[in-house]
Amino acid sequence: MKRHILALGNSRSSSPASPGSVLGAESGSAFAAAAGSDWRWLAGLVLLLLTLSGLPFLFEALFGDGADFQLHRVTLILILALAALAQNLLTGYAAQPSLGNAAFFGISAYLLAWLSSDLQQPYWLAVLVALVACALLGLLVGGPALSVSGAYLAIATLGLVVLTGSLLTLWDTSAGRQSYELTALPEVLGDDRSLYYCVLAVVVLIFVGAFHLLRSRVGRAWIALRDSEVAAAACGVALTRYKLLAFVVSAVLTGLAGVLYATWGTTATASMSSVEQTIAFLTMIVVGGPGSLLGSLLGALFVGLVPLLLGELPDPLALGPLQLPIAMLTTGIYGVLLLLALIFFPGGLSAIFARRPFVHASEEGESYGP
Amino acid sequence: MLALLQILLSGLVTGSLYGLLALGIVLIYRTTGVLNFAYGALAATVTCFLYVLLTGPHLPFWQALLLSLLFALLLGAVVERGFARPLLAAPILTKAIATLALALVLQTVVQALWPQLTSPVHFPTPFEGQALRLGGLYLSLADGLALLTTALLLGLLQLFLQRTRLGIAMRATADSLEAARLMGIPVGLIFLFAWMLASLLAAIAGVLIAARQTVIDVQFMDPVLLLAFIGAVLGGLDRLAGAVVGGLVVGLADNVLALLLAGHSLGTLDLGDPGIRQTLIFAGFVLLLLLRPRGLFGGAALRRV
Amino acid sequence: MDHEAQATSPQTGQARNVLLEVRGLNVRFGGLLAVAGLDLDIVEGEILALVGPNGAGKTTVLNCISGFVRPAAGSIRFAGRDLLALGPERRAALGIGRTFQNGQLFASLTVLENLLIGRHAHLRAGLFQGLLPFGPAKREDAQARQRAREILAWLGLEPYANRVVATLPAGLQKLVGVARALAGEPRLLLLDEPAAGVPMREVTVLVEHLRRWCTDLGLTLLLIEHNMHVVQAVAQRVCVLNYGRKLTEGEPTTVLREPAVLEAYLGREEEASPLLEQEVSDHAAR
Repeated sequence: MKRHILALGNSRSSSPASPGSVLGAESGSAFAAAAGSDWRWLAGLVLLLLTLSGLPFLFEALFGDGADFQLHRVTLILILALAALAQNLLTGYAAQPSLGNAAFFGISAYLLAWLSSDLQQPYWLAVLVALVACALLGLLVGGPALSVSGAYLAIATLGLVVLTGSLLTLWDTSAGRQSYELTALPEVLGDDRSLYYCVLAVVVLIFVGAFHLLRSRVGRAWIALRDSEVAAAACGVALTRYKLLAFVVSAVLTGLAGVLYATWGTTATASMSSVEQTIAFLTMIVVGGPGSLLGSLLGALFVGLVPLLLGELPDPLALGPLQLPIAMLTTGIYGVLLLLALIFFPGGLSAIFARRPFVHASEEGESYGP
Repeated sequence: MLALLQILLSGLVTGSLYGLLALGIVLIYRTTGVLNFAYGALAATVTCFLYVLLTGPHLPFWQALLLSLLFALLLGAVVERGFARPLLAAPILTKAIATLALALVLQTVVQALWPQLTSPVHFPTPFEGQALRLGGLYLSLADGLALLTTALLLGLLQLFLQRTRLGIAMRATADSLEAARLMGIPVGLIFLFAWMLASLLAAIAGVLIAARQTVIDVQFMDPVLLLAFIGAVLGGLDRLAGAVVGGLVVGLADNVLALLLAGHSLGTLDLGDPGIRQTLIFAGFVLLLLLRPRGLFGGAALRRV
Repeated sequence: MDHEAQATSPQTGQARNVLLEVRGLNVRFGGLLAVAGLDLDIVEGEILALVGPNGAGKTTVLNCISGFVRPAAGSIRFAGRDLLALGPERRAALGIGRTFQNGQLFASLTVLENLLIGRHAHLRAGLFQGLLPFGPAKREDAQARQRAREILAWLGLEPYANRVVATLPAGLQKLVGVARALAGEPRLLLLDEPAAGVPMREVTVLVEHLRRWCTDLGLTLLLIEHNMHVVQAVAQRVCVLNYGRKLTEGEPTTVLREPAVLEAYLGREEEASPLLEQEVSDHAAR
């Protein structure tokens, strides 16, 4: 009997990722922040918010005239965080290894450009239409995707991204343009500082919403089907319904990120729906921490900031007698950093901040009941 | 009629090259559970190495090829030990991202070591300009070799996996890592071997593709890789012969579409554009996968409770 | 034997309230007939044990009832409703809870959160309510937490409420699985080997629990169990399966001594010790 238990223990410890999981998520870290009242987390959050809202003034003091340019870069990271959250909800929480989000990223941006610039519809209406379109497309992709699983789903949705990208390119070439310029932006979004505040407000609002959603019945159902689909169904979770919901929510959030991205760059390009974009989305959640809200932020920081920092390296970089042209090396260094992050933080960077699970003091050996 | 046959033959060659790549992709996926997006970069690295041997010290082709294949084995071993092993327990998407990172690293290393390969260069082979004539059909020597090599390698690999102890151990590991461990199979060595074998296949595919294109650069495998992946998935990701057939389907589709679309246009759109071809192939692939979620030959998945 | 079961079940069905009625159940896996023509009645409030050697089709029967396996033929009715047309989640909502042989817990979540998912069917909040930090979703959640804590207290699991399940020892995880099923307030609870992997000294505690659930909660229990002590102690009726067929059914003490049952468990060599010996059940559990 004893041996039997030991064997059970072993089999558990040798398979770190939970059975249904494609990304093996950090132990309920979305919940960790919520369990009890941990003032340190709250303090950190308040500090982060204060810093972010004071950032334009901080940058002004730091960079002087370059402040707006630097702020523009930070805005991009915020937008990326939104896309990371979208991918994380779908892949890190609801365990759907879909690589198709970049398709919605591009489509929403092009819809916005088309509606606002060519059809001269109001900007906000165009955004709304783009988001609704993403929801419908998410439903359209999610429906059939339920019958495709694992690696097949990953490659099929990647195919969808490439397909979308080439369709958008075809649209561009047939219209005789390189990329789709956004000509009619509302005045508020034209200025770097007000764009920053708008994006910040949207991102904070959505992260707060996501925080509550993930601790609600819906979020629990997603995590349940990640940890064990069978048990989730036995608990009354309608698998199809919740997977579809994850697809739709993720598509809409990615669409929102796409709209903001196009607004940020005042242009929509076909490369928004490309394999590279997909890689960026995935990298964000894998590096940041799958199944972690904080991870989405950290991942966006990694993907958005590391190339910028590498760009600050002296050029050419002198390594002993070697004079290396830095432009060529940045991708390689980025790759090495990525590999190191994956190898040393398999649960993502958010694992550094994850609190240890509550351990009851008088809890040692096997025990059953009171 | 002859033109069609010629296109089909050319499609067969393209397809067999996709198939050869798909073979290695499936091999790695089956044994180690890695969707290896670094596969193209592996092939390109070895091919660039061969190019350097041919143009630098001017080694005879076959000697250089042998050295390159040895290098491929070494590269496979290094990649397995340094990168695949630490990530063995990681979830599938983490591993996939890691292979992408690996591809970036490999490309940068090649660029840093041999800067001449950043832009397209001529890849010299002894087969260049030589061709076979079969009836009215034209088959370049490089293409003929590609067909022959793919068929030969598929046959050898099947024999190896079915008949040899090592091959059977590999299949056992692919079926269940835990069970293989309990049976006393040295799982670590099996993984090492699988990566070396796959790296060898990648190298051969890379050299054949380079010989066919006659022009290479450090990224010459990138456009090919995604199509090879499509082939692998169409074939079912879990059977070697399926991978080759999947690759053939993609290659044939590519060439036949090129024939059908050439010279046509739709409004201002030139349908002969390779972008259109790619769009159609991907559209067909996505549709096919919706109809047959586990590839052309895949059975239904059993859910265990 | 079949004849006997046919004769008694309609009678009891009339006299007492039949909660679950299985008729002519056939399950095929490829060419293999895993369950063949099974009839089974479970009366409201009783504890029925399903026993049989490995591969007899016990778990398959459970999977048919909870909706994970589609039978080739037959019918399953629960409280007068036909179950076969419904998916697993609808059956759970109707009041069929279950545990799994291998736990299948939500390992990355805390014990309390596992129970909250167990109550999924009782809650209503959707996407938009869930986004808000206030409102009906939070209110019903608070109630669900309260109820979940009551269940945990009742099972003595309260000290572990905020522990992540993956960090708990196997024995406790087993109990969490049961707690999760109970959180859904089922009418019929299906337990797949509740005593497997539980140390002997604690099996008696488990037996007490099982009995209490039935009387206190008015629960109906269908359990698969290899430990014959447990079967003997808790089950009011035993149904023995062998090769997917019902071998016999009846009182535990009499059924477990039947020669056909002994043969199914031990093979042809009849000299072996009685079935109630612990080695046998241990052997069968392998």
